[in-house]
Order: sequence, then C-alpha cells, then structure tokens
Amino acid sequence: MDRRTVLKGLAGVGGLALTGISAPAIAQGASARTLRFVPQANLANFDPIWGTQYVVRNAAALVWDTLYGIDSTLTPQRQMVESEEVTDDGTTWTFKLRPGLKFHDGEPVLSKDVVASLTRWAARDPMGLMLKAIQQELTAVDDRTFKWVLKQPFPKMLYALGKNNSPCAFIMPERIAQTDPFKQIGDYVGSGPMKFAKGEWVPGAKAVFEKFADYVPRQEKASWLAGGKQILVDRVEWIVMPDAATAAAALQNGEVDWWESPIADLVPVLKKNKNISVDIGDPLGNIGSFRMNFLYPPFNDVRARRAVLMAMSQEDYMRAIVGDDNSLWKSLPGFFTPDTPLYSEMGGDILKGKRDLDAAKKLLAESGYSGQPVTCLVAQDQPITKAQGDVTADLLKKLGMNVDFVATDWGTVGSRRALKTPPGQGGWNMFHTWHAGADCTNPAPYTAIRANGDKAWFGWPNSPATEKEVTSWFEAKNIDEEKAAIGRLNKAAMDDVVYAPTGFFLSYTAWRKNVSGIAKGPLPFFWGVSKSA
Amino acid sequence: MLSYILRRIVATLPVMAIVALFVFSLLYIAPGDPAVVIAGDQASPEDVERIRQSLGLDRPFLIQFGSWVWRILHGDLGTSIFTNLPVSTMIGQRLGPTLSLMMVTLLLTIVVAVPLGVVAAWKAGSLIDRAIMGFAVFGFSLPVFVVGYMLAYIFALELEWLPVQGYTPLDQGLWPWLQNLILPAVALGCVYIALVARITRAAMLEVLQQDYIRTAKAKGMGQGGILFIHALKNAAVPIVTVIGIGIALLIGGAVVTESVFAIPGLGRLTIDAILRRDYPVIQGIVLLFSFVYVLVNLMIDVTYTIVDPRIRY
Repeated sequence: MDRRTVLKGLAGVGGLALTGISAPAIAQGASARTLRFVPQANLANFDPIWGTQYVVRNAAALVWDTLYGIDSTLTPQRQMVESEEVTDDGTTWTFKLRPGLKFHDGEPVLSKDVVASLTRWAARDPMGLMLKAIQQELTAVDDRTFKWVLKQPFPKMLYALGKNNSPCAFIMPERIAQTDPFKQIGDYVGSGPMKFAKGEWVPGAKAVFEKFADYVPRQEKASWLAGGKQILVDRVEWIVMPDAATAAAALQNGEVDWWESPIADLVPVLKKNKNISVDIGDPLGNIGSFRMNFLYPPFNDVRARRAVLMAMSQEDYMRAIVGDDNSLWKSLPGFFTPDTPLYSEMGGDILKGKRDLDAAKKLLAESGYSGQPVTCLVAQDQPITKAQGDVTADLLKKLGMNVDFVATDWGTVGSRRALKTPPGQGGWNMFHTWHAGADCTNPAPYTAIRANGDKAWFGWPNSPATEKEVTSWFEAKNIDEEKAAIGRLNKAAMDDVVYAPTGFFLSYTAWRKNVSGIAKGPLPFFWGVSKSA
Repeated sequence: MLSYILRRIVATLPVMAIVALFVFSLLYIAPGDPAVVIAGDQASPEDVERIRQSLGLDRPFLIQFGSWVWRILHGDLGTSIFTNLPVSTMIGQRLGPTLSLMMVTLLLTIVVAVPLGVVAAWKAGSLIDRAIMGFAVFGFSLPVFVVGYMLAYIFALELEWLPVQGYTPLDQGLWPWLQNLILPAVALGCVYIALVARITRAAMLEVLQQDYIRTAKAKGMGQGGILFIHALKNAAVPIVTVIGIGIALLIGGAVVTESVFAIPGLGRLTIDAILRRDYPVIQGIVLLFSFVYVLVNLMIDVTYTIVDPRIRY
C-alpha cells in the first residue's frame, strides 16, 4: 500500500462520513462575496509574458484584457477592439479600441499602451515572433487607433491576438510593457475585470483579486476569453494547496469553494458528497506524449521510432494516468485535439488495432539496435509523467531494449532534456510530458509538432514533410484548406514519428453547490461565477 | 557568562560561512535550471538562454558566489528568481506561521511529554509506565502525514470542530489563530512528545536511584515534591538537550506538516523553492535555519547553567 492509497482511503472515509451532512459552521460564516479557489499550481510569479506557465496565464486573464478573445468555438472575437480593417493585400491591419477602456490606476487605455504591449509579447510568443519577422511597422495612429503594417499577409492575425495559449497578447500600460521581455515586471496594473491585490500576495500560498469597478464589459454573452466578462463576486482568493487530500477535505468542509483540478483518485469521494458538483473542467483535455531523441541511436532511425509506436498501447498509458474511468480518456491516432475542427487521423493506423510486438521487435532489429542503453528520463514528482514513464519502461523491456530508467524530478528533466550531448554524457533518449489540448488545436501554438531539426522542440525532430504542411496551414485561406493541410501534416508527423502520442485524457473540476456559473474551458473563467451564502 | 555568550556568537560566523559556501556549491552543482522552469514547456533553447543571462546564472561560480556573499554582508539576501520579491520579504511573510506552529508544538510537548515521562519513571514497570511507553513507540512509528490526515479526518471532517487547513495571524484573535494550529501541532508533536517522554523517563529513573532521593523520602517529603523539585531538576540537563535537538526535528517536520495542513510557512516555502530551483530563496532559508540551529544550541548551553549551577563556562 503506498501513500496515495492511504490518502485516498482516508479521504474516502471522510467523504462517506460527510455525505448528507451540511457544511460546518466554519464555512457558513464566510462571505458570499468572496470566492475561494484552489488553483492547479502555485502562482509563483505574475508576469504572463516573462513566465509562460498556465497558472500565470490563468491569473493574468483576470487582470489583463486582450484585444481579441477566443470563444468556445475556437473563433477569435473582438474584446478590447471595437473594429478592425485589413487592406486587400492583407498586409496592413488597422485596429480601433473600444471607448471607455481604463487601467486599474484610472488611466485610459491608449494605442501607445497596445503598441508597447504587442512589442513585448511579440518578442516571446511563437506567433508573435512570426509577426515580428514580417513586420514593417507597428504604430499608434491616434489614442484609439493603431496600425500594424506587414511585409506579407498573415491570415492568422486575429487568432494570434486572441489566442488563449501562453503567452497571450495581454495589454499593459506602456510604462510596464516597456520592460525587457526577458525580465520580470513588478507592477501589476491591467485593464481586466479584476485588480491584483499585490499587498496580499503570498507566493506559494495565496493570491487575491478584487473586482475592478470601472471595467466595462462587452454586451455579448461571455464565452471563454470573449464576450462580457461580468464579475459577480467582490473578491477571488486563490488558495494554493500542494496536497490533494487536503484540498479535497477543505472542499468537503466548505473551507474553499472551487478546486480547479482534483486528482482522479479523489473524484469518487467528491462525487459522493451532496454539497459538491464535479464535472469535466476542460473539454479540450490533454495529450500525453513521450519524445524520442532524433540525434542519437537508436531513435535517430525512423524504424526504431516506428517500432515503439507499433508496440505501444495507448490504453495502458491512459489507464495509468486516469484509472478506470473510461469517460476520461480516448485513444488518439493523431496529434491534434479530438472533437476540434482540425482533428485528423490520417496516417494514424500504426496506433490502431491489436498491438504487434513481434513485428515491432523485427522492425527494431532492422534499425540496427544492438542492446545499447536507452536513457529514459522520468519525472517522479509529476503523476502524469511518472505513470507514463512506468508504462514506457515496461514497453521497452518487452521490446528487448536495455532501459536506463532515470527517475528524477521535473526540474531536472527540464534542464537535462535541453542537452544535445550523447545519452552517456548527460544527454538522453526519451522523456515524457503532456500537452494541453488547447495548445494542440492547430499548429500555431503547437511547439511540440514542429519538426525543423535544431530549431525544433526537445528531441529535435527533423521532418521536412511535416514542416511543409505547417507552412501550408499558415497560408491556408479557408477552413477546407486548413483541414487538408492538417490531414497531410498529421500523416507526415506520424510517418516520421515526430513524437509518440500516448492518448487523450480529460480531468475534472469540482465546486460547492452554492457556486454557480462555472464554464467548461481551457482555463478557469471567473466571469459569470456567483456564490450564494 | 557574557563573554562566553559573545564568544559563542562570534564563533557562529565561521559556521555560517561554511554553511553558506556548502549550500551555494551544492546548489551550483545540483541538476536543474530555474530558467527552464520560468520559460515554460514551450520555450525555445534560445529563450531559456536569454533568461539565464538575465538572471546572471551564466556567470562563473566564483563571481556568482562573490556577488552573493557581498550582498549578504550588506544584509541583502537577494531577490527571488521567480517572484521578484526580496527573499527577506518572502521569509518575513512565512516566519509567523512557522514560528507559531513551532511554538505551539514546543509548548504542547513540554506540557504533555515531561509529566508523562515523570509519571512513567515514578510508576516504572507498572501498567501506566507500559501504556506511556507504548504510546511513545506509537508516536515514533507513525509518519507525520499519516497522523495529520487521521486528525483532519476525525476533528475536521467527522466532528467538524476544527478547520482542515490554513493559518490565521494572531492579530486576528487568539482562538482563530489557535484553531488553525491545534491539529498541525498535535501531528507534528507526536514524535517529539514520544522522544521527550522517553528521555525524561530514562533521566528520571537514574536520578530516582540517587541517595539524596532516598534521603528526601526518609525525611518524609511528599511524592510530588520529590519528583518535581528534587528529581526533575536534576534530570533536566538531558531533557533540555533533547528538547533543543528536537527543534531541528521540528524544522524538518514542519515541511511535511505545513504541506498537509496548507500552512503558508517556511517549510512549504523551502519545498517550493527547491522544486523550482529558486536559488536565492533556498540559500536564504538554509542560512536562516542554520543560524536558528546555532542559536538554539547556544540557548541550551546557557540553560544548563540555570538548571545545574555546577556547570560554568
């Protein structure tokens, strides 16, 4: 019996005991105007351009607004912008800001603030860098109008400005946005629907956001980052809880109102509590993955990479991550998020059907593999990577590979995976990770699908065919062209095994029933959320 | 005595210097890179390198160490790589909860463990003695997090008497402050109570065999007077020693306890900083802990002279 099992048991007993019992006195005195939220991780810094962790993006969405916002159909909608015009040749974009936009310090939002913010963002964001590379000028025309002149058309402009992938194009006051993009800001003034209470921030423990009275929401219904961001509470407190069992107990006890990402083990306990609602948090879910190093044997040979794909069972990986709840996962014979417009299974047959270990062994032998150690980095402090690493180690052994299993922490994996030295000299052959489904709906924010060799993400996959189709997608003029490009891209990436997708999985979110208005989405949206006593 | 205390304080300086060098070297050679954590999962190697440069992490070891020592000598513990807040501010934010937890635990330990040890020695070999020593073994054996979860289940979830998590500062009232600390202090104190009770019993057993105890009994002195005036005072040196050593245990135990009960103290700050490789914060905390440890040892030595007048420095 391990620690996790003990915790589950204890929390389970607690949950059973509480079923049918009303919230304790401690909770009932809490103000209905304060929403207490347990985030997925610690808000350790608060510069959404400098630090690109999801938790920073999630908090930043409260404080800083964006020019456009992606809605639940993955379509960019106007947010701070009132109107836009683009010339027929697609090279000059002119944007006009909504009237009445204000920063939290009372100053109006002006075009010069937007220009400075976009300049800082473009230095860090992959789409921003693409824009910067073709930029002729980005200028403020007047207080509410700014112009972006490009050397060539960029059809994905509005998506770039409204995307929810980190870093988002958040708009800051000019004085803050002029900070070097590789240095952290220390002033957290935005124009979003909530203000950051810097004085109450205890990194690692608590962050507080207060309603911004002068925020002017759009009239449209809120949908993800788009529409009217109506804040219905006075205060949102983020309470960081490193221990899942404690968070579960606090939610059951009414000490917190909303837990962003309960671990799968504890969900049955929460579901049994009549005061708690549990539902899928983010319908775009996550894609599990492991990456093989293209620079060194055995995975510099596509046959070795394909042998691993032929043998692997995505079900094994998914069950290791989410347990027995079949509603939480599905097989993924592709690289893009299921149930989104560009999803494709072209070329994914290798991941379908019965696993053929013998054929995989034969292919591995053909690749010239001769028993050299395969250095497999597995972060033990991340349940998702640990679960995947254990399955992979077993898989490689079944294939007859000599596994050098490096059990370490995420911080070490993070730095070691950047090493291009041979595996025996500090380098590696494989590491495990996962990607937010929201980042895998198209190639723009999807760093992991890029296969441009030295410039690609860790593992440095080199697949000209994949890269060709990434370019095709960027140049596509309509959804049909985009879908065709993605189909070809999926096949090329699968043929060359840019990385190994281990499956698609979802996770839950849980809240007390006196809280309403929680929307499903790739990040926790606080607009429209209310709480009764 | 005063000159002794001064000498001891001066003697802490080389200790602190060695600790500083050791910690800095260890972190320098440890795997992991804060720039990678900051840059995020999707960052390019070039972005990571630029962040490393902006943080000064690309500079040679001696330059980094020299610059850090220079700042320390000027009373500046540096700035957190992640939060951009001064390390002293971050430690200040977390000091209250940890000190409160340690204080309540220490108080609870002394109030519970010392009488238990005295009674066990007094009734040595009896059922009471066995029960107390059985509890001590139990207390030693259970990990802090298991005790913590069990207490939370019984007293927070089941009985609804106390909160599961969090911390309320003392300035918001004695009871709000205390109610967040009772369960963590009991969980953390279990091992400590067991340790002190056993040591108290052993020390008392030895003292109770002494001639002056027999003399006190012969003179008709009451049992309470014998135990708490003559015996306990003479058994105090090892008890004080183990209480002092136990403070080191408390520091270690606080890391787990603060995580289980979501108390925003130094223990959690330490874990967070280590996992993120926030070097200035780790260095600041380790320096603080080592200073506290040296100080506690000094206090123990001074206490010896109070409980045993024969000891002089």
